[in-house]
Amino acid sequence: MDTLEKAVDRLLSGDASAFQQIVDITSVRLVRLSTRIMGNQADAEDVVQEAYVKAYRALKAGEFDRRSSTATWLYRIVVNGAIDAKRTRSRRAEQSDVQIDPSWDGAAFAEARVALSELDEWLQALPAEQRAALVLQSFEGLNNSEIAQVMGVSEGAVEQRLVRARAALRQRRQQP
Amino acid sequence: MTDFEDIDQRLARLARNTEALRPSVGFSARVMGAIAVEAAPSFLESAWFSSRRLLPIAAIAAAFAVAWAAQVDRSVEDELATSYASVELE
Repeated sequence: MDTLEKAVDRLLSGDASAFQQIVDITSVRLVRLSTRIMGNQADAEDVVQEAYVKAYRALKAGEFDRRSSTATWLYRIVVNGAIDAKRTRSRRAEQSDVQIDPSWDGAAFAEARVALSELDEWLQALPAEQRAALVLQSFEGLNNSEIAQVMGVSEGAVEQRLVRARAALRQRRQQP
Repeated sequence: MTDFEDIDQRLARLARNTEALRPSVGFSARVMGAIAVEAAPSFLESAWFSSRRLLPIAAIAAAFAVAWAAQVDRSVEDELATSYASVELE
């Protein structure tokens, strides 16, 4: 059993400090995923924070049945939260002075933010579900079956979203 | 996107270049702050928890109150019986 599952076991057996470990293990991947879907780090962090609170509530209420792995379950909460947020929230202005940990490579982070800006501009016309499916496939490396599990839809629905997303991007490229 | 870069190539490049995205400083602390608020009991939960601890004391006090009421009731009946007896004697 991996560290994440062990941390969940500890939390379920009453060790409240185990949630910090769950956050430490998963936050980088979840914030990166959310940022790629939202196109904005401040909104993405709000989505992930809300997802953690929902996960905590569900774990304490015994609502997580563990039919999927904890990582997949957290992915699902974040993706659903990001899709809802994309549909309903007005976009928050991106902060240019997002504070980063000094131990990280500042140049790589700056390059990542430039790439994020390009990504957001390119994908912004896509509906939230199509964008999320494309991010899960092309950025997170998930196959259609895994994307279906995360998004809670059939593999056929995933395939349809991906085909439509690519068609929309191709059409956009062909426009003068 | 360059003329020679197709959709998959552009997605792959952007995936590589956004790999360094990280949570901002203090994100983990903010999350744990929100969790602490979630974990703190509400006013009603606190009241219920406090009242549960007082329950045995309240039960003992209630038992004493019932015993005292029964004793008072018996005393009143005795007093009334005595007064009726006195009236009959007179």
